[in-house]
Amino acid sequence: MSVHNDKDYKERLIATVKKEVKQVMEESVTRKFVHEESGIVTSLCGAVEACLSQGLRRRALGLFKTSSTTALLHKIAKHCPEAGAISKRVEEIENCDPNRRSSSSSDSVTKPALKKNQSLPANPLPKYLWIRLALFDKHLAKIIDYLVSNASKYYDKDALVADAEYGTILSSLMMGPCALDYTKMRNQDHYWTDPPADELVQRHRISSGHSTPPSVRRPILNFRRSLNTSSEDSHSNRSSAQQIAKDYVETLHQNSKATLLFGKNNVLVLPVNSDLSKPIPGYLSLHQMAQGLAIKWTPNQLMNGFVDESQDKSVFWEYALNVRLDDIVYVHCHQDSEIGGTVILVGQDGVQRPPIHFPKGGHMLAFLSCVETGLLPHGRLDPPLWSQRSGKNHTKRRRPLPALAENEETSKDYVFRIVDNACNHTDMLKRNELMDTHVSLPTKARTQLGSTSTSSESSTKSFSIDQTAPDSPPSVVVQAVCDSMKRQIISRAFYGWLAYCRHLSTVRTHLSGLVNAKIVTGEGAGDGDGITAAKWSELCSDGVVSDYTEVYRLTYFGGIAQELRHQIWPYLLGHYKFGSTGEQRDQLAEETRQAYENTMSEWLAVEAIVRQRDKENQASAIAKLSSESTSGEQAPPPVLQEELSNEVFEDERISDEDEDDEEEGQCSKKTRQNTIKYVSDDEEENGEDAGKKNESNETLEANKPDGEPNVNEELKDFIHNVVVINASVDICSLGNESPRITNLDAVTEENNSSLDTCIETHGLASPARSNCVSPASSNGGIYSVSPSLTFPNRKPPENISRNNPQQELLETFGLNLHRIEKDVQRCDRNYWYFAEKENLDKLRNVMCTYVWEHLDIGYMQGMCDLVAPLLVIFNDESLTYACFCHLMERMVENFPNGNAMDCHFANMRSLIQILDSEMYELMHAHGDYTHFYFCYRWFLLDFKRELMYPDVNATWEVIWAAQQVASSHFVLFLALALLETYRDIILSNGMDFTDIIKFFNEMAERHNVRSVLKLARDLVHQLQILIENK
Amino acid sequence: MAKTYDYLFKLLLIGDSGVGKTCILFRFSEDAFNTTFISTIGIDFKIRTIDLDGKKIKLQIWDTAGQERFRTITTAYYRGAMGIMLVYDITNEKSFENIKNWIRNIEENASADVEKMLLGNKCELEEKRQVSKERGEQLAIEYGIKFIETSAKASIRVEEAFFTLARDIKAKMEKKLEASNPPRGGHQIRASEPQKKPTSWLSRCTIL
Repeated sequence: MSVHNDKDYKERLIATVKKEVKQVMEESVTRKFVHEESGIVTSLCGAVEACLSQGLRRRALGLFKTSSTTALLHKIAKHCPEAGAISKRVEEIENCDPNRRSSSSSDSVTKPALKKNQSLPANPLPKYLWIRLALFDKHLAKIIDYLVSNASKYYDKDALVADAEYGTILSSLMMGPCALDYTKMRNQDHYWTDPPADELVQRHRISSGHSTPPSVRRPILNFRRSLNTSSEDSHSNRSSAQQIAKDYVETLHQNSKATLLFGKNNVLVLPVNSDLSKPIPGYLSLHQMAQGLAIKWTPNQLMNGFVDESQDKSVFWEYALNVRLDDIVYVHCHQDSEIGGTVILVGQDGVQRPPIHFPKGGHMLAFLSCVETGLLPHGRLDPPLWSQRSGKNHTKRRRPLPALAENEETSKDYVFRIVDNACNHTDMLKRNELMDTHVSLPTKARTQLGSTSTSSESSTKSFSIDQTAPDSPPSVVVQAVCDSMKRQIISRAFYGWLAYCRHLSTVRTHLSGLVNAKIVTGEGAGDGDGITAAKWSELCSDGVVSDYTEVYRLTYFGGIAQELRHQIWPYLLGHYKFGSTGEQRDQLAEETRQAYENTMSEWLAVEAIVRQRDKENQASAIAKLSSESTSGEQAPPPVLQEELSNEVFEDERISDEDEDDEEEGQCSKKTRQNTIKYVSDDEEENGEDAGKKNESNETLEANKPDGEPNVNEELKDFIHNVVVINASVDICSLGNESPRITNLDAVTEENNSSLDTCIETHGLASPARSNCVSPASSNGGIYSVSPSLTFPNRKPPENISRNNPQQELLETFGLNLHRIEKDVQRCDRNYWYFAEKENLDKLRNVMCTYVWEHLDIGYMQGMCDLVAPLLVIFNDESLTYACFCHLMERMVENFPNGNAMDCHFANMRSLIQILDSEMYELMHAHGDYTHFYFCYRWFLLDFKRELMYPDVNATWEVIWAAQQVASSHFVLFLALALLETYRDIILSNGMDFTDIIKFFNEMAERHNVRSVLKLARDLVHQLQILIENK
Repeated sequence: MAKTYDYLFKLLLIGDSGVGKTCILFRFSEDAFNTTFISTIGIDFKIRTIDLDGKKIKLQIWDTAGQERFRTITTAYYRGAMGIMLVYDITNEKSFENIKNWIRNIEENASADVEKMLLGNKCELEEKRQVSKERGEQLAIEYGIKFIETSAKASIRVEEAFFTLARDIKAKMEKKLEASNPPRGGHQIRASEPQKKPTSWLSRCTIL
């Protein structure tokens, strides 16, 4: 085969796959699901099979005669987990049916294009079994992807799969079909998509009815008298009878006037006014027409081309059923596991239609579900056939009412009422009102809705003309043309609306995971009337809080009184357990405090060293500067540039060339000072002046918060250890590279012992710490740093002579320390609490302790903002620390390395789209800021920067309680509520992205938090109802 | 809507955290200084309209978070910027060292012809200086950009810095326009041209 032909062939293969994929996708769009046994699935599988078998290296696979792709699947099963799962299933199925072993795959090669005759009595294994299974299990794309990426092993060089371009096209083409749901119901619905050959023949015969001699007598089917199909009148005009028979059969199929929703043959019906004793089989179909749904049943004698032409069929025409669903109020279902199911339709007049007996195999359920779908959006079944709920993981779980489950042993009966939404328009409006208080449907959609429903009413009237006999006067013909135009317009509007509804329903499915299914009411918990002192004493009897649901509920709806927050917040954050006794909590507090102090003593020790090195660096920089300015040289020696630790860019390596040259000199003074004094930059840098040093020991005592005598003792101990005696510093010796003194090691070894004693005396080692403290490390380092402590993006050092874990730890912590300091200094200094330096120190301690215990996370800007409100409420470092750790469990994902922020943005997009599409359109039109970047700070800090302190407290506790009460994504609804609060301003000014950023930055701390919270709760409630109503 | 300006320039302030980006911006836009500034989270911007050679120029100056971790957010704003101020703190050697990293960031994310300028802030703290003016100048020469030492606190040369950057952008833009459509004696066409771009400059950002 020439190269050209080969390429041509591949092109054709891919084109076939593309076509089939398109078919399947179209099918899934037009109907709710694609049937597993539908012909289009088979053809898709065939196309894929053809692609996969092209250029397969049979020999390499040990497959000689059979070019089976199934064998290929088994081959790759070991390496590709998806393939493994499918391969197992294929084997299971084949083992059940030993006769069929591997036939599925081999025959697929020999006659790939031919469709299987589906009316075979036996139920052989479907063709392309593994491809089918993989498709239904949504693994096909992955398996093909695996094959493509490992093509060299299994395929010839010129194979399609091995082709860089086609291979990827093939695997990506499969993504779409793999995302679809295929129905598992083993019914024979495909009969109406792929009508059997004899039916096609029959159809043809009827349409060419003019040429064949008509049978003796054929009554006109009176369409208008749809309820009563047994019409005796009008059996005069033969040609028109012929015409109508033809039309009738055609209406049974998909056509321009009606959409076929369901079709099933061999459904048994005992016609009412017949002398038959047994029900006769016929073809049952459900049609969606402009004027509503219609159920038709046609006896087989009319459908399947009874060969016996002489037989008088007229009687069967009388048996045919044509029921408009508008006239039906109740649907009775009787289910029998032995026989199948029976559906009886009861009309408005209370008259029952003849029972429709479905054969076994879930056909009744399929039929009802089609009815339910068809009724939308103007009507519905009550109770709904499908109860739909989605879990947090957004996976869709659909299950029918228990009574209708196929495998149910007992036979059950069920009655459905058909509720017409279009008739009682108010019901529809009520639904809209849900979204209407502040948010509203786009006006476009609403008018569309109105026009559709009103005009459809008028159309039902005019439709009667349609069924008038062909011998009507010309004016009627004109009228008919007008009507047909009208109908087209209506049907277009209707389908537009339907598509819109479907879209919304998809979005709804996605959104249902955002709120809790259970709706909790806020009775007795008015705004600002949540947990008051009186209520709390009730809830917290004997110091034990057991009714946690009530605590969450009251908090969510009414908030907590300020003076109780320090007691209740630890519960909300998960630090205190509900049901714990006072003693237990005291004990916990003591443990927390001890652990906190221990951790602090650890990082304080490291901090001392970091400080020391800083001083040296600083001194060297200044020295360099002065020498430089005197000598007039401009560029510093490259060595210096490299030694400086890199504050911002983590991937830059900090080297530490010569800082230890003079460290010991200043050590005695500076360690003390640095350890204890964490003051503003100014003071700190004034530390150069030796005069200040003496006060350091005093500040040690004074600054130590909350009086922790034992820590102080240890600190002193430690400081004495650290203070290594050495000569005074000679700054001039700087730049002198030569004597590489290992004093730092000496210092740290001293550290080591003191730290170890610290740890031993307290006898605890938290898991995080056990990572960094390795008692076994003997090479002079205190800390053996586990991989988790090193930044993953850190490049290996280039010229670091002493690259040991301890250095790395020092650098990492030092880096974080500087960042923390910078941010602590400017954290809410305008707020009275942080005007006090003492409190800033507390903040810094909590922050450093957290970062020390979570060095892999490190400090990130914004963390201080999250600690601050907690600290203000608790005014206790260890409790704040413990609660902050709990808070960060959720919040850390918002920070740059997590992925929660993207989720928030995506969820915002969906929420806005469904609840306020007008706003969404605006956002889209004005420079498209539907990326929602302007919400970044909101989500990162739980609105802390947007609100005043008292409001932050009120908001935070609601967010925490909401997780249990209404939604674990409450922040989304808060964001939405903020947007909705200013909806009119945003819309009327047509704000673009810069406007909105500016607007919200200027509005920060000016929001009316009460109304925003209320609106947010309302929005949650609205969504809950929307989802429940589904 | 009546136009209140002839040109709209988008500027961006970048540099390590704590070098005083927000302070510089506040000094320029409000002519004030506040010691109790908070760290910038996410992004913010301020606007000031200046008069330059008889043209009203609206400067939209974006302030970014300094910490490297937030780069994904901030780099989204690089692309639309017409001028970028690189800020370091003269009392902090590291912030100066990091300028080269910021330059690299610009090269990776901003448009190629963006005007750049180097600012050494906090120059009122002479006694704590770690980075000499000469080194700043040297670095600026290396990158072929302008350099000014400023003080937001003492209000030293902040205005000058922004005016210089704006003038350079204006000159560059006018030169470009001249090249694309030869002078026809009117300024109308040129004046309206640049205003179209800004409305959609962020729409192309799809990061995150």
